Amino acid sequence: MMSDQFRKVEPYSPKSSPRGGRSPVVSRQDSSGTLKTTISLGKNPSIVHSGPFYLMKEPPAECEQTGATNLMAYHGLEHSYSKFNGKKLKESLSSFLPNLPGIMDGPGQEDNSTLGSVIAKRPIGGKELLPLSSAQLAGFRLHPGPLPEQYRYVSATPPKKHKPNKHKKHKHKDGAPPGQDTPLQDSSNPDTYEKKHKKQKRHEDDKERKKRKKEKKRKKQKHSPEHGGLTPNQHPVP
Amino acid sequence: MSASLENLETQLEMFIENVRQIRIIVSDFQPQGQSVLNQKIQSLVTGLQEVDKLKSQVHDILVPTEVFDYIDQGRNPQLYTKDCIDKALAKNEEVKGKIDSYKRFKSHLLTELSKTFPNEIAKYKAIRGGE
Repeated sequence: MMSDQFRKVEPYSPKSSPRGGRSPVVSRQDSSGTLKTTISLGKNPSIVHSGPFYLMKEPPAECEQTGATNLMAYHGLEHSYSKFNGKKLKESLSSFLPNLPGIMDGPGQEDNSTLGSVIAKRPIGGKELLPLSSAQLAGFRLHPGPLPEQYRYVSATPPKKHKPNKHKKHKHKDGAPPGQDTPLQDSSNPDTYEKKHKKQKRHEDDKERKKRKKEKKRKKQKHSPEHGGLTPNQHPVP
Repeated sequence: MSASLENLETQLEMFIENVRQIRIIVSDFQPQGQSVLNQKIQSLVTGLQEVDKLKSQVHDILVPTEVFDYIDQGRNPQLYTKDCIDKALAKNEEVKGKIDSYKRFKSHLLTELSKTFPNEIAKYKAIRGGE
């Protein structure tokens, strides 16, 4: 069937090109010497006197910024480069956000708390945020007592890496580790919060020192024979 | 720009601190803590309102979505910046190498061609302005 079709077409196919054996596309040697100018159209039409050369175009315009220039210096990013390449960055997210409580170094897929999911499934927005009425607050009335075991994992503090301190003097000067539950503060006032936040380290240090001093005093008093305290080896049997 | 970002950061930190305090209240709830809890829940709403107000100040800040992958994997997002800088630098060096090689190739080609086709190359140089 196919071969029949070809046979039918065959008689109509031209035996030779109407322009002869030459292709109109392929350029030929100019024997007349008239092709000495190249006219290029397009965005920037130009006439290039190309002499004896064919297909000669205007060279691309000189550009101040190329891949050969130091782009880091060109864009003033040398500081950022030295900042990130000078020291070794810590891998964990908690080292970037040291003030945030809780465990955040695990993959977010585990508890469906990925930022990607926020983009993939955008939360409902556009509604006005209003304070809850007393009837709505009634929904948050809780039973007294501790949380059931299965919900307590959230409040677990991340294991702190023990680093041997070279200087014994600074042994107790560290602030609270990330995620540790510090006493409640009033964060409702932004000004006070900001001030507290800025001076947080210094205050924490002072507080810690005072606390430790008090504890030491208390221990001394406990263990002293006048107070009938126990020696480290004398623990009461439950 | 940086002031608005700092403002947003402070608000978010306050919000997180509030949630942390609610968690402590709730983890071992005492009956007398109900009023404090209610207050904290209301301050959550206020915190969300504050964050919502700040969105207009940061709407022009673009964040590459690849950063989210780093955060979602519990990795330091600064590593993304570092990786970007490293990649840009490597590409910059690669392109510079190519450009330099092409320049050397061009001059070598012209030298060799001028040996074989001195007249043509002279004309070519005349057209190109002695390149």
